Amino acid sequence: MKTFLRILAGLVLVGVIALLAFIFVPVQRTQPATELAADWQPAEGQGKMVLDAGDCVACHTSDEGKSLAGGRAVASPMGTIWSTNITPDDDTGIGTWSYADFRAAMIDGVAPNGTHLYPAMPYENYRLMTEEDMRALYDYLMTEVEPVSEPNKETALPFPFNQRWGIRAWKWLALTHDAGFAPAGASDAQDRGQYLVESLGHCGACHTPRNAFMAQDGVTAAEDSFLTGGVVGGWNAPALRGDAAGIKDWTVSELADYLATGRNAHSAANGEMSLVIEHSLQKLPDSDNIAIAAYLKGMDGDAVDLPETLAAAGPTATPEAEADDAGADTAEMLVSADPGMPLGARLYSDNCLGCHFASGKGAPGIFPELQGNSLVVGSEVSPLISVILNGAELPATEKRPMTLRMQGYADRLSDDEIAELATWLRGAWGNDAGPVAAADVADVRSGDSTH
Amino acid sequence: MTDLPGYPSRRNFLKGSAAGFALTGIAASAEAQVEAPVSLDEYETEYLNGAEWAFIMAATARLIPSEGDGPGALETRVPVFIDRQLAGDYGSADDWYMEGPHAPDAEPARGWQTPLTPAEVYRQAIPAFDAWCQSSHGASFAELDAETQDAALTSLSEGEVELSSELRDFWSLLLSNTKEGYFADPQYGGNAGMQSWVYIGFPGARAAYREWPERHNIEYPLGPVSISGERA
Repeated sequence: MKTFLRILAGLVLVGVIALLAFIFVPVQRTQPATELAADWQPAEGQGKMVLDAGDCVACHTSDEGKSLAGGRAVASPMGTIWSTNITPDDDTGIGTWSYADFRAAMIDGVAPNGTHLYPAMPYENYRLMTEEDMRALYDYLMTEVEPVSEPNKETALPFPFNQRWGIRAWKWLALTHDAGFAPAGASDAQDRGQYLVESLGHCGACHTPRNAFMAQDGVTAAEDSFLTGGVVGGWNAPALRGDAAGIKDWTVSELADYLATGRNAHSAANGEMSLVIEHSLQKLPDSDNIAIAAYLKGMDGDAVDLPETLAAAGPTATPEAEADDAGADTAEMLVSADPGMPLGARLYSDNCLGCHFASGKGAPGIFPELQGNSLVVGSEVSPLISVILNGAELPATEKRPMTLRMQGYADRLSDDEIAELATWLRGAWGNDAGPVAAADVADVRSGDSTH
Repeated sequence: MTDLPGYPSRRNFLKGSAAGFALTGIAASAEAQVEAPVSLDEYETEYLNGAEWAFIMAATARLIPSEGDGPGALETRVPVFIDRQLAGDYGSADDWYMEGPHAPDAEPARGWQTPLTPAEVYRQAIPAFDAWCQSSHGASFAELDAETQDAALTSLSEGEVELSSELRDFWSLLLSNTKEGYFADPQYGGNAGMQSWVYIGFPGARAAYREWPERHNIEYPLGPVSISGERA
């Protein structure tokens, strides 16, 4: 008995020591894959490009605040996480950070004082950055950005998520991949696209499903789940590869147009993607948006034709899109204007037909098509309901500056009517998605849903 | 309110309403959500007093009568439209230039010359016209029979009723406001159930007919929709 107690006490002691070590022993920082010469200098504009492609501004700037001074609320399933000041201010920003400190935050998710960063910061993806881009971004932030004195708001998540040492355990599961970028070697453009998608653009943070530990279920193209679609804050980030991909019928050129302008022959950006385009993608060189499009379209093994330019300067005559085979029956029924049509079709005729047309194809570059639209047929119904209730607005982009606006129908349609309309849309023109309940509409209308 | 001689009886009104709703076709199910408005008898006016309301009811009922083709002014609640318009910006000439100088005698082509607002024109002209009816036909307008009412309105329209020049536009106001109440969007109180739109085949605020201009001699079958989304 005495021996047993002694063993037990020993085990408890070992456990306590291990836990203390786990909490207090500093994390070993990952070393760079390539060492750069001390006098290495980034190319002209490289740091700004990395900042834009990494979409740092979108999270690290609040609506009213100065650029990169933090203070934006980032909604997470655990609660609100406040983004931090990353201007080079010594007291409130990152002015005192060494380059090694900066790299550790970017690829290991650890602040200089050893605090583990919440994975709202996509270091899972930035981990794949090249050493050159990392240096260029550090130089840019430290020398080109004005210091702003703006104290950080303290993120206060409920227990146990406020125990940041727990993130260390999470990283053992999530940060299993090597730092640095490994191109697949398909072509120069596709490799460039792969890099932007996997690393800087951190597309996978939304478009890849999360696993049981809330980590991205794959961070490179080598993993099957990578970019097969995720759900973020009640919105679908649609699959970008496989049969379910909303972009599978788009050309490389159309996809590049969408990335650079938020609109193309098929769709119009919405929700988070609209912010990504406004703050990040529209600022990239055409060649980068074409590269991203080429990489994404090539993921399923399709042949990739590279367009030379995107979003040609207007005016361009865009031919009317006719209904295709899958949408022919719906189009014919709408055009007949038969008073016996279902209520959903009647509501579409009364409210939507003028812009989205009987074909459900909308108008290229102006009004999105509703046939096969990932927002219309997504597993999450609140985005569709939200757009019908509150309308939507396309961001102005450099190549397409018009902020196209759809009005909301909150005053004109009841919850029951919107449920009928949304349900009908999800089954029209060959769409095949489940019904929408009036209670779902009531939730979105009252603001009870997640956005 | 009792049925007055010559006043469109409640029975006629109900008949008119029934006809109106029959015309609206599929409206029965589609409009279940829209609350039925109070009857004109129970309507509480926003501007018009009792005598004015009785005049408007009687006059509009003769201008767009309930007998014959299509709904009349009463089934489509034109008096409600006029009452609400007079109570609002239109009645008070809110965004018109009203500072003067006024020259009520100026030739009509010179536009609105009276210092009175439309609401004031109605307020002063109705008793004046009623007084004329009294002296010429022996009763106020609302109490006359339909035939005499038609004769009185004809006299009014032809300038045979002595009205001060400040009130000379009364007839044209009354006629155009009645037409507006009949055809305007239902949100303004008239054109109840979009009956007038159904009657003339106007499809309302849908604005989506790009396949139809080429379809000659084919009737567009779908009923109208109002600005607020009512269907008929």
